[in-house]
Amino acid sequence: MRRASLAPFDFVLFGATLALICIGILFIYSSGINAAGVLVSHEFVRQIIWAVLGLGILIFFALFSYTTLRVLSLYIYAGGLFLLLVTLIIGRQVNGARSWLGFAEVGIQPAEFMKIATILFLATYFTGIGNGIRELPRFILGLLIALVPIIFILLQPDMGEALAFIPIFLLMAFIAGAQPRHLMFILMVGFLGFILAAVPTLHARSGAAGASFFTLISDPEILKYLLLAGAVVTGLAFLGWRSFKQRYFFWIAWTGAVLVAGGLMSLALRFVLKDYQIMRLVIFVNPKLDPQGSGWNIIQSVTAIGSGGLHGKGWLHGTQSHYQFLPQQSTDFIFSILAEEWGFLGALLVFGLLIVIFLRGISIVWAAREDYATLVGTGILAMIFFHTLVNVGMAMGIMPVTGIPLMFLSYGGSALWTGLIGVGILMNISRRRLRY
Amino acid sequence: MEYGERQQKRRFVVLTALFVGSIGVLVLYLFWLQIIKGGEFTQRARNVSERETPITAQRGEIFDRKGDDPLVFNVDSFSVDVSPGEVATADLPALFNRLSGVLSIPVQEIEQKVPPKTYKQFQPIAIKGGVTLQTISAIAEHVEDFKGVSWHNKPIRSYVESGTLAHVIGYVGDITREELQVLYNKSYGADTSLGKSGIEKQYDDILRGVDGQRFRVVDVKEKGVTGAEEKVVPPTPGKNVVLTIDRKIQKLAEQALGPRNGSVVVLKPSTGEILALVSYPTFDPNRFFSGDSSAYFNKLSTDPSSPFLDRAIQSAYPPGSTFKIIMTTGIADDGTIPINQSVLCTGKIEFGDRVFNCWLRTGHGYEDLFGGLAQSCDVYFWTMGNRLGPDKILNYARDFGVGSLTGIDLPGESSGLLPTPEWKQKIKHRQWVGGDTLNISIGQGDVTMTPLQLADSVAMVVNEGVVYKPHLLLKTIDPQTNQVVSQPAPEVLHRSAISKDVFQTVQAAMRGVITKGTAGPVITTKAVEIAGKTGTAQVVAGIETKSWHSWFAAYGPYETTNPDDRVVVVTMVEASDNWEWWAPKAADLIFQGIYANQTYEEAVATLKPWYAPVVGRVD
Repeated sequence: MRRASLAPFDFVLFGATLALICIGILFIYSSGINAAGVLVSHEFVRQIIWAVLGLGILIFFALFSYTTLRVLSLYIYAGGLFLLLVTLIIGRQVNGARSWLGFAEVGIQPAEFMKIATILFLATYFTGIGNGIRELPRFILGLLIALVPIIFILLQPDMGEALAFIPIFLLMAFIAGAQPRHLMFILMVGFLGFILAAVPTLHARSGAAGASFFTLISDPEILKYLLLAGAVVTGLAFLGWRSFKQRYFFWIAWTGAVLVAGGLMSLALRFVLKDYQIMRLVIFVNPKLDPQGSGWNIIQSVTAIGSGGLHGKGWLHGTQSHYQFLPQQSTDFIFSILAEEWGFLGALLVFGLLIVIFLRGISIVWAAREDYATLVGTGILAMIFFHTLVNVGMAMGIMPVTGIPLMFLSYGGSALWTGLIGVGILMNISRRRLRY
Repeated sequence: MEYGERQQKRRFVVLTALFVGSIGVLVLYLFWLQIIKGGEFTQRARNVSERETPITAQRGEIFDRKGDDPLVFNVDSFSVDVSPGEVATADLPALFNRLSGVLSIPVQEIEQKVPPKTYKQFQPIAIKGGVTLQTISAIAEHVEDFKGVSWHNKPIRSYVESGTLAHVIGYVGDITREELQVLYNKSYGADTSLGKSGIEKQYDDILRGVDGQRFRVVDVKEKGVTGAEEKVVPPTPGKNVVLTIDRKIQKLAEQALGPRNGSVVVLKPSTGEILALVSYPTFDPNRFFSGDSSAYFNKLSTDPSSPFLDRAIQSAYPPGSTFKIIMTTGIADDGTIPINQSVLCTGKIEFGDRVFNCWLRTGHGYEDLFGGLAQSCDVYFWTMGNRLGPDKILNYARDFGVGSLTGIDLPGESSGLLPTPEWKQKIKHRQWVGGDTLNISIGQGDVTMTPLQLADSVAMVVNEGVVYKPHLLLKTIDPQTNQVVSQPAPEVLHRSAISKDVFQTVQAAMRGVITKGTAGPVITTKAVEIAGKTGTAQVVAGIETKSWHSWFAAYGPYETTNPDDRVVVVTMVEASDNWEWWAPKAADLIFQGIYANQTYEEAVATLKPWYAPVVGRVD
């Protein structure tokens, strides 16, 4: 029964991860070189130290039985929440967000590790309820498990990290067999909420005068009555569905609820989000509205990437990056410096390695014979996927600037370790998949 | 997940498709960004980090026709800049103090130009312009005390003959926003100097040369990137310009006119070369580079006597009796009136219900064409003008270039005005009447001419029907090789259909003006025989007061075998409260100076005994 524990070490997954980390270190080094060719930052040395320590952590998680993690998952989750709470109170403020916890030079970002904790606990919950996930109350309880850390992280505030929990939850619930209408509801409400939150600023900044459709959904006073009307329609449709059991009543209620919830969420976001965060959403739609301010990052990043061409300008020879036009090169915009210096071919290499991780990960998760392992693996893959999509999309100007790192490549210990813990757990699952 | 194997498999297919599809979209977009639009971004990346500094080309110098000493040359002058980013913020106040001492400007002025928000900036900020070489040497000797201070040479123009040549040569100044909009495509930059008037403006593209460029690469704080290659495109200096102006004649004419509002034109009729072009009052362009430049400029701009106006080419006046040269040509050419037919002048003629008085109220008696011109008899020209009729008079005036530009190579020339019946109807809403014909016959009424146009009219008589385009550019010279770059040939402006015999008759009539006519008492020079015509043009200044412009248009020598020896002189003194019959006197001195090779003082000394007191007004 336990002979499979000696299944081979997953070299493909490990190799791809290691390659990405090495490329990351190369470009963290490059970003530390200034225009005069002098090395001004030693971030790459720290990254090497974190990578070496992180590989130890990876091996630990690869060997340690994940069944233990399942038993401990509630405590890990609770402990994570406690750390987030502590961070909110005594955390160190960096770039306007209170997201760091630590002493002197050493610190961690609890939000990064919280994703792993949430994945573990959600997987435990979904495995426990089994097919019960199709029932709305149990689905909502699962959503709450993800929402609590989201709210804590939004209070820091770190919108990007908070958003990362949504795809983790959605994809895990999807694989666990949740009803598509429930998943779609969350997706639509989230989308609508963010769009509606950005519209008023976008509208005002575009310089359009006079009342229009946008005024209708911008003015909170008008929106309030619209939402009230929508709620009444939704309520009536819901009653209709309850009384007559007709399908179209349900879909009217569903659509109405999406609109009302989306509207409410936009009001909440406008209340919670800082001006600069709203501005990021606006800039995403049109970076030229603020070319020297918030749009600067996107314009410089896209210019850096575009000027890379097929082969790139050569390692250490990027101009946008070394003349410091490109901001936050080692963290948020590591992809831009890579694409500038190694060009399209270098970017293809990185995408190829990520695809290797995704496909290998899916095959591991698919082959896992335990539902808990499948769900944990899915959550980890969803996390890596979201970081890739949002970070690279942001660098290329097709995603809002949210400031989340590119896993394995960006400078930063917490994100790197989170990724390595994830890969370690995937390797653990891989080792035990042949267990019969 | 007990939900069924097949459903589970479908979910994983969806998951795989989501992952691979999303990465695919990123790759496709990246392909578009890097491969398809890559070139555009490469250019943009370069634009972001590349700065070019112009290296100002040496502006060409300007010479008179002898080409020895320049009339205008460049003087080294420096502009001192500070790059605050190169100095520690704590050291800046001490630096400002030292700079204030050595440049003798208040510290507050420096602090104003370098406010605290620029303390981290590497872009040089100009502190003071017009700094001498000695001051720069003083800074350079203690360069360690002046870290962050740099200077660049911005030569200023020195105008040697600052007198009446100011109108001809003009001056340079910083480019304005409006000028930049027009000239941007001709590679003018935001901080270039350019000619604002005169030759400096007219031949700016010859004089300015081509600025060089220094390309350097900067980082986001505008700090130069060391190690990045620096490209230098050297400047091409501007060409030197040699003018047709004769410095001696210019000086002579300037002094002969003296401090009277008016102008003098001296030109060579055989080529159209302008030997002297004087306009008074004038201005000193050197003061535009001094400390009080803006105050001086404002004073000039508001001066009621308009010192900026080049009266020789930009002011048109009624030509008065000098117009009778054109009338004489017309009468002689038309042939319907025999030139020896006499008219009785009783001092006045009646025309319609009006009475026209000749300038000599007592009357000239019988005058033919020669006598009429010599005595400037108004009655003769009124009678003959009336017989010719307005159409013919206007045609002859057009033939002489009245109302059209001479095409001189100076900006802002006026074309004067030739009134026609159509013009009068359109502008004044009145019909052309017989009185208008009489008026134009003696150069009064609405007709106006510039002194240069009148000089061209005389040149046409001298050349017997040919007028060369008046010009100031003799040749351009390469300052490095001293080779002539271009030397434009004289250009025929107009060729008249009138026969040479007619012009010879006019020449004889103009000679009569000197030998037995109105100009006899004042033209006393023995150095050369001249022919010409006096003129006084009536200006109605108030209801009761009338004042008179004084004209004299002449050429000499009257007879010569070498037409290149001849010059045309037109002098013009504007009406002033105390009428002075100065124009012929000035011309007398100019002819004396040119042909006796004398200075103004010598010419005055020679001619003084011959000066007869002039009593009353002579036309």
